[in-house]
Amino acid sequence: MTDETVPSWEEVAHRYGRTIYNFAYRLTGDRDDAYDLSQEVLLRVRKGLRSYRPGSFEGWLWRITRNAFIDETRRRKRRPTVPLPEADRSAAMGTAPSADEALAAVRLDDEIQSALLALPYDFREAVVLCDVVGLTYDEIAETAGVPVGTVRSRIHRGRAMMRERLA
Amino acid sequence: MTHPGDLLSALLDGELTAAERRDVHTHLESCARCRDEYEAVRATRDAVRELPLLDLPPGLLPTPAPARRPVLARAWTWAAAGAAAAALAIGIGLATGSAPAPMDLDTFAEHHTARVLVQPGFQTVRADVGAP
Repeated sequence: MTDETVPSWEEVAHRYGRTIYNFAYRLTGDRDDAYDLSQEVLLRVRKGLRSYRPGSFEGWLWRITRNAFIDETRRRKRRPTVPLPEADRSAAMGTAPSADEALAAVRLDDEIQSALLALPYDFREAVVLCDVVGLTYDEIAETAGVPVGTVRSRIHRGRAMMRERLA
Repeated sequence: MTHPGDLLSALLDGELTAAERRDVHTHLESCARCRDEYEAVRATRDAVRELPLLDLPPGLLPTPAPARRPVLARAWTWAAAGAAAAALAIGIGLATGSAPAPMDLDTFAEHHTARVLVQPGFQTVRADVGAP
């Protein structure tokens, strides 16, 4: 999306909706929470687009997404630490070449998701924005409002902590 | 150089300058500990990146609203249909001198109610629609 273009809300929803949903899901580990959070983000985007001026659209979008997530999480007065739901198992079961391989893959996914959820929020957010959303360190720094050096540290330490848990 | 630490992930993510990259690679050649750390974070990074991308659940994306006529317009349609049906039934009865054609009174009542609702001054004309 070029910086000169102000997209419509429908374009944003269709282009980024799935990524926003996956971002929320990997941070919460819960499909219902991810749905509610994604809906909240899309509502804020719709309101925000009225005053949006062409610039770094993705930076703007992910700031909104992050803020919505934090606000909603605070509102619910809890930090998400829910284990992976059954639905994820069924989604993965149908795609692998054999049942054993599928089960092993799902178990591994479960473990990785659990390791993600065990991270302190700031580390989890940095890892998810980098490895799930695909933002650069500069974009993550802009989104989170921290220096790039902090992003680099959070990502590396987050991965190292996950590795210890998975070992 | 000292142990690169955070720079190992940055190397994996392509976030280092050419000079930094060269320094880290040089260090890795001589430091088994950092090579182990590098492999550990690489494996974790790959695992997270390979997590399945979930499909959006239904209902989250905007869809074009189905074309719906306003309630008032629908009521007028029912009222017009009701009035036409009543007139037709009465007309048939007068023309043939026989009993009025059978009518679904429930339907007629609905049509009539709709007509009265949208046109308060509407007057009813009683007709013999009693039992055949």
